[in-house]
Amino acid sequence: MSEAQTTETAHPPLEGGKYVYCIIRSERQKEFGDIGIGRGQRVYTVHHNDLGAVVSDTPIVIYDPTRENVLAHEFVNETVMKEHTVIPMSFGTVFRSEEDVTELLRSTYQAFSEVLEKMKDKIEFGLKVLWDRDKVVTALEHENEEIRRLKDEISRHTSTSTYFARMQLGRLVESSLEETSQRYVGDIHDVLKTVAVASRSNKPIGDRMIMNAAFLVERKQEAAFDDRVKEISRKYEDILTFKYSGPWPPYNFVNIKLKLERAD
Amino acid sequence: MGLISKVLFFPITGPVAGIRWSLNKVAQVVDEELTDDSSIKNELMELQMQLELGDIDDDEYVRREADLMARLREVRAWREKLGKGVAGGPVRVGSAREGEPDEQA
Repeated sequence: MSEAQTTETAHPPLEGGKYVYCIIRSERQKEFGDIGIGRGQRVYTVHHNDLGAVVSDTPIVIYDPTRENVLAHEFVNETVMKEHTVIPMSFGTVFRSEEDVTELLRSTYQAFSEVLEKMKDKIEFGLKVLWDRDKVVTALEHENEEIRRLKDEISRHTSTSTYFARMQLGRLVESSLEETSQRYVGDIHDVLKTVAVASRSNKPIGDRMIMNAAFLVERKQEAAFDDRVKEISRKYEDILTFKYSGPWPPYNFVNIKLKLERAD
Repeated sequence: MGLISKVLFFPITGPVAGIRWSLNKVAQVVDEELTDDSSIKNELMELQMQLELGDIDDDEYVRREADLMARLREVRAWREKLGKGVAGGPVRVGSAREGEPDEQA
């Protein structure tokens, strides 16, 4: 079947480039449909032994990380993930030719095989937690006696004499906020870590986010993990916003530094 | 960019080597400013978050994304001009010989 698809002579190839989405283990050549980056390119595998690189044809270009392009990259990985354990490639990886892709699989065969074994039947979930800072500050003012006292003092006096009280209040609020956020994040981690294989904390995005984590979860634990996320988000529903996403390929848990160089 | 004007009006006194050193240093700083795309990528992530949270609408997202893409392309062009690596674009598995700068853009 795949033989008939090789149409190099009939149609000129799109300048021969291959966009690589991910690496999977598969003895046979696979087809994933016309869902590739660009204009719905055919997505298929290029092989070396039992390793397959999931690719689509592409001109040799640099893809901007626009939402459209990133979603196309993601959609292919999601589709492949339904049946396979995947090692995701980073967005925008283009090889000059099929031979270059085969060479990647050949030279990195050992590392890919080991990671595929480790990632077998595991998926990633993302959890971002945001808070409404003002709400938390208001709550702190209720709970914390020292903060209340300083606020009182400031409101009873005129501007100049309260300079130090203001400074003190500012610092106290900051450190209480930090402490509170650490407590929340710690609690969330504690609830989730029992159903996850591993977790990783990334830098929060923007100033409202207090947690930006990824969790590696066994496929068979997916429902249990879901339940825990629901449970913890109910617990904090008045103060925190949870942004839960996945399943993803294990982007945050595969760390193969490929020695790639530019091909001009 | 105060640094650039300092270079342009650098008083030509002192040993030549000193001047050359300064020029190199300055060139390096300018390089970094022109070729660092991490802040653009951070902005892109924030933009996506804002859309997800409903802080901005789709139109605004599209408009600001276009602006960020233009800046990314600019940075990429500078990186290529200065012979630095660019993310994306054609790659191949690294060969045995190392440390050879990628001069031609």
